[in-house]
Amino acid sequence: MTRTVPVIVIQMLQVLTVLVAAPGVSGFIAKVEARLQGRRGPRILQPYYDLAKLFRKEALAPQGATWFFLAAPLFAFTCYLTVPLLIPVLTTFPLPLGYMGDILGGGFILALGSFVVAVAAAETGSPYAQLGSSRAKTFAAITEPVVLFVVFAVALITATDLPYALAATVHSSTSQIVRPAHLLASGALFMVILYETGRIPVETHTGTNEFGMIETARAFEHSGPFYALLSWGSAMKQLVLYVILINVFLAPWGLAASQQLGSVLLAMVSLLTKAAALGVVVAVIDDSFAKLKLFKIAEFVAGAFLLAVLGVFTVYLGGG
Amino acid sequence: MPTSPGLYAATANTIAVGVLLVEFLMLRASLFRAQVRLYAVQSLIVCVLAVVVAATHDLPELYVLAGLSLLLKVIVVPVVVLRLLRDADVEIAGSGVIGVASEVLLAIVVAGFGFFAIGHLHLSSSVLPTAALSVSVAVVLVSFVLMIARSDVVSQAIGFFSLENGVSLASLVVASGLPLILEVAFLFDLLVAVVVFGVLMRVHHGRTDTLSTAGLTKLKG
Repeated sequence: MTRTVPVIVIQMLQVLTVLVAAPGVSGFIAKVEARLQGRRGPRILQPYYDLAKLFRKEALAPQGATWFFLAAPLFAFTCYLTVPLLIPVLTTFPLPLGYMGDILGGGFILALGSFVVAVAAAETGSPYAQLGSSRAKTFAAITEPVVLFVVFAVALITATDLPYALAATVHSSTSQIVRPAHLLASGALFMVILYETGRIPVETHTGTNEFGMIETARAFEHSGPFYALLSWGSAMKQLVLYVILINVFLAPWGLAASQQLGSVLLAMVSLLTKAAALGVVVAVIDDSFAKLKLFKIAEFVAGAFLLAVLGVFTVYLGGG
Repeated sequence: MPTSPGLYAATANTIAVGVLLVEFLMLRASLFRAQVRLYAVQSLIVCVLAVVVAATHDLPELYVLAGLSLLLKVIVVPVVVLRLLRDADVEIAGSGVIGVASEVLLAIVVAGFGFFAIGHLHLSSSVLPTAALSVSVAVVLVSFVLMIARSDVVSQAIGFFSLENGVSLASLVVASGLPLILEVAFLFDLLVAVVVFGVLMRVHHGRTDTLSTAGLTKLKG
């Protein structure tokens, strides 16, 4: 196939890929996790059925909640739809809107989405939702420096902070992959992703253990289509973070280098394969570690901070 | 334009950083068996680096050194320490005087000091990148934090042994052509330290029935 695709269409496809594939990736991880525990587990497509069911249900809001409570899920959803415009989801070359924001910009939009959800949860007056939003913000405040140091490491390696530039640098030679700054920054980012997506050392992803909940507790009071948007949004956030880790840091291979239809389709397939592989890793971690006590999360974040800071030290002082 | 450190320098730096990361893991290990095992892993990483240097720079005597330190530091010392501790029924080495997260942050600051101090010296080595030297100094400084912040005999002893790992990493960088006899002398120095610390651990455990040094402050007059 030599037919070319206009860049605008590719740009839309980036968003659409994330939008459509995100629940499937969640379903895949849940399936793998169940198989590792010796259960049959839900269907991989189960999240789609759940969303379809939730969209048909009625939406309720607690007494006294303002319009913001209902607007927040939509707003957060929009935030998570914006980030795929900025990062290399399908192509190695920057798309027209790709320079709208750098890594910090993308991180800022993701943080804005979760901030809005936290504010909406604080509005409900429900103790669990408020507990969740207060915890989420507390720990977000200590993971923020880790993200900053990861960005510093990227900036020192590539002299820019554009995700496309780092992907190209990693792509360029083996020595860029094995250099400690790159490995340490990737490790730190992976730990941050485990925290941000509510995976096991920090939080149980499924189940109803209210006291241990952080991110998932915030959606307690939402219902119907709004709850569907929130859970779809968090699946999208997970896939967006995976894409950043895979296509920017770990394995920027298999991306489309041209506008040809065939290579764009191949890029979609390879992205989903890589996301599934990362999902298997996450599922193995989910099944082999215990959830940390709430006050031990600071140790987990300190570990991630250590990796990010050492990455910056080695590249800044030793050229490593 | 991004600069690349080169494949060999990048690999060597990564292995050296591995030594430092294991040192940080020691800060949070709470079982003394885990502590001893981490020491064995750290020594193994130093041996791997020695082999890498030997293979790439045609320094055959480093193979002997790597083999000797593999035998001593990866096998003999951990086995001896574990054997000495076998009749101590204490499993948990006990926590430090400050929390693990604070310990790690403190150690990051100290390691950063080491990095910056060595970075300003502009030492260059023919066999290894300078970053590896900064890492080795950071290992030494972090092992001091381990010895100071933890209040159990095992962590203090392991801190001392891992300090020697930092020193041998540094000697790989600045003087990989160091006469073999000197290196071997260092290793036997370590063996003496192991015996001394082993006796200390046993006597301490026999007298106080604990591995914690917290009670020793009562001894002052």
